[in-house]
Amino acid sequence: MRESLIKAQPWLGLISRLVLGGVLFIAGYLKVSTPDKSQMAVRAYEVLPISLANLIGLLLPYVEIGIGLLLILGVYTRISAALGGAIMVVFIVAIAQAWARGLTIDCGCFGGGGQVAASETKYLSEIIRDTALVLLALYLIRYPNTKFSIDKSPKLAK
Amino acid sequence: MGKKDAGAPKKDNFTRNLVVVVVVGVILIMLVPTLISKQGDKTAAIPASVSSSEGYGIVFNADLVGKPKIEIYEDFQCPFCAQFEAMAGEYLEDLIAKKEAKVVYHPLSFIGDESVRAANAAACAADENNFLAFHKNLYSNQPSAENSGEWSNDYLKATGLGVGITGGNFASCVDNLKYQDWVVNVANEGGKRNVNSTPSVFINGKLIENESIRTNQIFDLNKFKSAVAKG
Repeated sequence: MRESLIKAQPWLGLISRLVLGGVLFIAGYLKVSTPDKSQMAVRAYEVLPISLANLIGLLLPYVEIGIGLLLILGVYTRISAALGGAIMVVFIVAIAQAWARGLTIDCGCFGGGGQVAASETKYLSEIIRDTALVLLALYLIRYPNTKFSIDKSPKLAK
Repeated sequence: MGKKDAGAPKKDNFTRNLVVVVVVGVILIMLVPTLISKQGDKTAAIPASVSSSEGYGIVFNADLVGKPKIEIYEDFQCPFCAQFEAMAGEYLEDLIAKKEAKVVYHPLSFIGDESVRAANAAACAADENNFLAFHKNLYSNQPSAENSGEWSNDYLKATGLGVGITGGNFASCVDNLKYQDWVVNVANEGGKRNVNSTPSVFINGKLIENESIRTNQIFDLNKFKSAVAKG
């Protein structure tokens, strides 16, 4: 049992890397060609001063693509996973505060964003999805040794 | 994969650092043109009826005093904006014609390329004193999919012809995206004003919640009229 878990661990790590990295990459890619919309999505959270929100709206898609690529390739897996997980925690906090304050916005996670009708908010499913991704990040931080990665980790499982 | 040497196995830092440098480099190369294109250009060409002090909007009845000021932030590709235009378009044209309100249109372009083209063409139409007809015509022929390729320059020129704009100025204005930098300025000003959805309508500087001028999710002209009357 324990033996097979040890064998499965780098494969689970590979799946975690591809899912977390893939989601980040796609999320960034879908936003990168519409910077106005991305800025609008960040402003709609009504947390940051407008000029800062606009700057983050502009940069965030590139950051997501970058971390996503590093995770997919498996470069500095532990650091990349920590960054990816941290960004997800920020998203969860932002979505939760919007929900708690009664804002009616789309998270803008995969493009879109901005204010929507109250019936169109999906805060709970957004938070659950991001929480699942944080768990993948935590797994990778604990077990950064994964299959098919550029990191040639010499650490043996035993 | 692990090469087991006699001593402590070495990590291949060279490869990973190279990959990090390539990834970061490619991203920076992509980011820089975006940053540059987002820089507003204060010297950009602006259509005749545009006022930089009104957030680069296209202004009707600029000198009217003592009447409500209605500001509309919209995107030609946004379905709710088409719905708003269908509801309020004629009423607004009427207010403009009778000099009962100052009306400012801000064509945003967050949906993408065809919104930029449409906003540019609308500004070209404004130069021909035909903004309102062009505006209405575009909305009533809004494609069902965003950036589908339908709103090409040829299509926009034909729309101009359809509302009676003749002459080469309009055509070259559309083809050359003459007001492209102005479109960026409009978008930047909308961002600074915290416009986070379209349509966003301000009456005398106050944002009117879309929900308050709708009935069952559909824009309601009577509610809009009373919002304008209240000021």
